[in-house]
Amino acid sequence: MKQKTFETEQAALWTGIEAVLNGSAKQLDDFPAQYRRLCQSLALARQRGYSPSLTDYLQKLVLDCHRRLYGVEIERPMLLRLWLSHTFPQRVREEWRLLALASLTFFGVALVTGLLVWFKPHWAYSFMSGAELNQFHGMYQPGQTAVGRGGSEGDVAMFGFYIWNNVSIGFRTFASGIFAGVPTLISLGSNGMHLGVVGSWLSMDASTRPVFWSFVITHSSFEITGLLLSGVAGMRLGLALIHPGRLSRRHALLAASERMFPIIVGAALLTVLAAFFEGFWSASASISQPVKFIVGGICWLTVLLYFAFAGRVTR
Amino acid sequence: MLDGRLSLTTPEGVRLLLTPAGPAIRAAAWALDFIVWLVIAFFGIWIFSGSKLGAGVIGLILFVSYWGYPVICEVYFRGRSIGKRAFGLEVLRADGLPVGWRESALRNLIAVADFLPMLYASGLLCMLLDRRFRRLGDIVAGTQVVYHEKLPARSQFTDVQPLATSYPLTPEQQRILIGLFEREKKLPVERMQELASIAEPITGLTGAASLAELRGIAAGLTQ
Repeated sequence: MKQKTFETEQAALWTGIEAVLNGSAKQLDDFPAQYRRLCQSLALARQRGYSPSLTDYLQKLVLDCHRRLYGVEIERPMLLRLWLSHTFPQRVREEWRLLALASLTFFGVALVTGLLVWFKPHWAYSFMSGAELNQFHGMYQPGQTAVGRGGSEGDVAMFGFYIWNNVSIGFRTFASGIFAGVPTLISLGSNGMHLGVVGSWLSMDASTRPVFWSFVITHSSFEITGLLLSGVAGMRLGLALIHPGRLSRRHALLAASERMFPIIVGAALLTVLAAFFEGFWSASASISQPVKFIVGGICWLTVLLYFAFAGRVTR
Repeated sequence: MLDGRLSLTTPEGVRLLLTPAGPAIRAAAWALDFIVWLVIAFFGIWIFSGSKLGAGVIGLILFVSYWGYPVICEVYFRGRSIGKRAFGLEVLRADGLPVGWRESALRNLIAVADFLPMLYASGLLCMLLDRRFRRLGDIVAGTQVVYHEKLPARSQFTDVQPLATSYPLTPEQQRILIGLFEREKKLPVERMQELASIAEPITGLTGAASLAELRGIAAGLTQ
């Protein structure tokens, strides 16, 4: 068959499909059937050696149809609720070993440096400069109107800063885990060290002790959990590369990232939640310290109970 | 295939040909995106700086534009950020379908690892080792960056009298001949005539006359 005849025979089909693809016509129920006929056109055009311009055109049309047909996202209206009530806590429990390792790294380093500074205070200067320590000491003086922020900035300002800074730290902790998990462990350890030194240094002064801990206790429940979970997801990626099991490294990485995605999203949301508390609650001078300790304790308990029990009941 | 294209076979038995994009053009697209981000960040800081409320808004703008911009572009604008659009690239899943939230978020998160130890050194090394020029983020998310192919224009030879060939051409020869005229605008006239002279055994002519004859044959083949 001459190409010209072929083209006039098929023109209606092609222009119809083109119209659907560029949005000028509605996609009808027989679009899959049209697509199959288009595939046949392409096969015929190839086999008969029609011009490259025609086969390229059909090729591109087929590619666009393929994406249109198979690229449709499946609607999952319950996804968020299911994720919150089941997927997220279940995945975290499945990774309890890595969570234990992350916690041990973070809290272990915090405890060791904390005790070191507590018993040998001059060691604090090997972790931080004297100016930094003085600055922290000044920030948590009992008289400060806005605790923990140098006293000059507003709540929203600090909220924005916490989101930009803390969530980015979580994301970096996760992403760098691909290098065998080592940078993740370093990030967890250095954050733990920071907490240990500052916490211990400010605890030694009876005036700053309650101010600091009442400031930290509430948002730390979400923030530390978020960081630990970022670390878990990052280490899982690194492990997939070191120990891919029966899969190829590439597939192990794909599988691990798919499994870790709910955790990394959860970690980011926890960190954002922490930024809310840190900006608007922890620093508020109008809330008394006992209330902060009680609410902080409730938050820690909620987080622990959530990850221990949520999603255990079968639906 | 020797042209470096990636061939995917669909359930209908059709091959989808995708051309993976190399490090240089991707770096260029990234640089443009980075400049766009700098402009956004600069204007955000310029507009909102000064007040305490503004400082918070700046933090939010930085966060959303830095982590959210590529993901939003890839999910809502068919895998194409401003830089990728300018350089004719797009992000697709390894199976040729559009990227979703998970793939996009993962590949952009892992970009941090690609950046290490400095200036995307890991990403570049990974791209050079990978057959499809994928960086770490692409491998983890199962995505790839390919050239965006435009729908080619079809009608040509509108004012040419079609001629019949006295000599039967194989499909492959037909493709070559028509392909030559599809690229005619990119080639100098002298070169076209020189090439047409090679076809002397078919046309019996040389130079411009042979070219006209060949054009007629090509027109006849497409009609």
